[in-house]
Amino acid sequence: MSTEENGTAISVKELEKHYGELKAVNNIDLSIKKGEVFAFLGPNGAGKTTTVEMIVNIRTPTKGSISVLGLDPQKDMKHISERIGILPQEFKSFERLTVRETLKYYSALFKKNVDIDELLKHIDIEDQAEKLYKNLSGGLKQRVGVAIALVNDPEIVFLDEPTTGLDPKARRGVWKVIAGLKDRNKTVFLTTHYMEEAEYLADRIAIIDAGSIIAMGRTEELIDRYGGVAKLTVKGCGKNGAEAIKKVLALKEFDQKNGDITFQLQPEQEVLDVLHKLKENGIGYKAIDIRRSNLEDVFLSLTGKSLKEEEQ
Amino acid sequence: MRPRIILMDFISQLKEWKRSPGTMFWTFAFPILMMLIFGAIFSDMDDVSYDLYVQDLDGTGSSEQFLSGISQIDAVNIINISADENLDDYIEEHNCKAVLVIPEGFQAQAMQSVTDPNATVNLTLKLDPSQQSSNGVIWSIILNSANQMNLQLAQGSNVVGIQEESLMSENFEYIDFFMPAVIGITVMNSAVYGTIFRNTRYKKVGILRKLLTTPIKRSEWMVSKMLFMTFLGFVSSAAIIGTGIAVFDINVHINAFLFLIIVSAAFAFSGMALVLTRYITDEEIADSAAGALTFPMLFLAGTFFPLEGMPSYLQAIAKFLPLYYVNEGLRDAMIYSNWEGAVFNSMIVFVLAVVVFTLGVILTRWKDD
Repeated sequence: MSTEENGTAISVKELEKHYGELKAVNNIDLSIKKGEVFAFLGPNGAGKTTTVEMIVNIRTPTKGSISVLGLDPQKDMKHISERIGILPQEFKSFERLTVRETLKYYSALFKKNVDIDELLKHIDIEDQAEKLYKNLSGGLKQRVGVAIALVNDPEIVFLDEPTTGLDPKARRGVWKVIAGLKDRNKTVFLTTHYMEEAEYLADRIAIIDAGSIIAMGRTEELIDRYGGVAKLTVKGCGKNGAEAIKKVLALKEFDQKNGDITFQLQPEQEVLDVLHKLKENGIGYKAIDIRRSNLEDVFLSLTGKSLKEEEQ
Repeated sequence: MRPRIILMDFISQLKEWKRSPGTMFWTFAFPILMMLIFGAIFSDMDDVSYDLYVQDLDGTGSSEQFLSGISQIDAVNIINISADENLDDYIEEHNCKAVLVIPEGFQAQAMQSVTDPNATVNLTLKLDPSQQSSNGVIWSIILNSANQMNLQLAQGSNVVGIQEESLMSENFEYIDFFMPAVIGITVMNSAVYGTIFRNTRYKKVGILRKLLTTPIKRSEWMVSKMLFMTFLGFVSSAAIIGTGIAVFDINVHINAFLFLIIVSAAFAFSGMALVLTRYITDEEIADSAAGALTFPMLFLAGTFFPLEGMPSYLQAIAKFLPLYYVNEGLRDAMIYSNWEGAVFNSMIVFVLAVVVFTLGVILTRWKDD
């Protein structure tokens, strides 16, 4: 049975890309189901774009096999290209065409097209249709980029860092558009280094670091498996208090600064037990802050590095 | 190849071009301004006279007749040097910029040509390489006089020679020489800058990566770009020729060679730019690269002044520059009606276009590997 017949949109096996000695992508295996929103989460330079670009035949793999809708991109790109849509990383379109002209241009390249007016409405850029592309804001340009990726009514949409460089409001605007794709039963392959984006949009997430996938699964699964239950911050305990907490709770990983100490609660640990131990040992504090673990904690737990630090 | 896709891409380029004040300037305003400025500068120079030092070593009726023809031209002031003078010393003492030497036996050889078709005699013209603008004028005057004498002696055969090149006649002015070159450099600049800028920018902003994942073929995209470059070449040429006729009353011959050279030039220069673009990854250095390609050609390919007035080593270099053949071919076809020259130069530009453009297409990659 072909991968397409069994409901698989994209299948990647032992994929590698080498640049001299550097392994930009190292032994990646992926399988994405039709209708799934899949996020590739990782810091800049982790190998996200290289992987996507190999899947859509912009780059040639050094090793491994790829199947998109049951076809090999290196041999059947002519057929695959009619059925996929791509928003490349840092994409900008023709400066002096209007939004409508831009969509018509890309639409004319395909056999199958959607109605441009409907597409403008769906992406919520109807009022921008007659504006020149160069005069649009960054957020609107990205929405036009997503619209371009949809002109041929594709089965799979690849969105490579669609919100990088956008302000939070513009980012949410793009999220809304991407979330709408799932309702239209599109398979979405999204790359991002924003954990909130992956968490908000994706059905399943693969975390990539230094060219290799280090974890893959549903958000909750990843957090449960690698992120711990929650993070607890004891505020205003002072340096001595923090030292005592480390000793009493036998902490190995913690973050200590400004008289506060933050650590992860283990699955078997109850907050009340911790507070009880602090009281028992006479450790004073001003406040307690409990935060649910997220993908940032997963990344930290797996790599020992913060995703936000990596971004910077 | 699908004509629908090519037409759609062509129309999109046309829309972008129409909306870009910068490209409109370079296509229309720049060449017209250049024509007007240079035309005005060199039109004023019609009143300037040129000193021509002449040493007549023959001293016969024929040499005197040859010189009297030149002396009738108002712009030339003939200063005779005695045949006894040591020429090199005289030149040094008087700081001569242009010296014509009529050799001993000039008349005898000229007369012999009546019975012996192989008889020839060469005049020596010594020119100061630093005086390029006046050299061009003097060169054309001497050459025209020699041609007139050749017509009288042997129905145009080259009995009296300087160098076997230009066929310019005394009726041609600087603007006749310059206008075809304005077309040449405009086609060159549009093709080189357009191709380099477009390819580096499209690569940087992801348009080439995007197109690579659509059904458009590289050949369709390139044909559309080339058609657009050719269209720009014709639009610019029409504007330049129109200005030349309206302002300078130039007598322009429109013929197939003109079209062939413009199309070939657009392909040749775009091909050169494509080859260069293969090795340019940074949009910021694209401008410098385009300048490095076009700037030497602009000044060394006989654009502003006749090549004959340049030092011999620069003349040799010019023969390796495509713009030289474009300029010469356009002059031969549009102005001088020199069909032999038009065929020769247009064939060189055509062959160059086929070779370089094919190479450019082969080397152009959309993939990022």
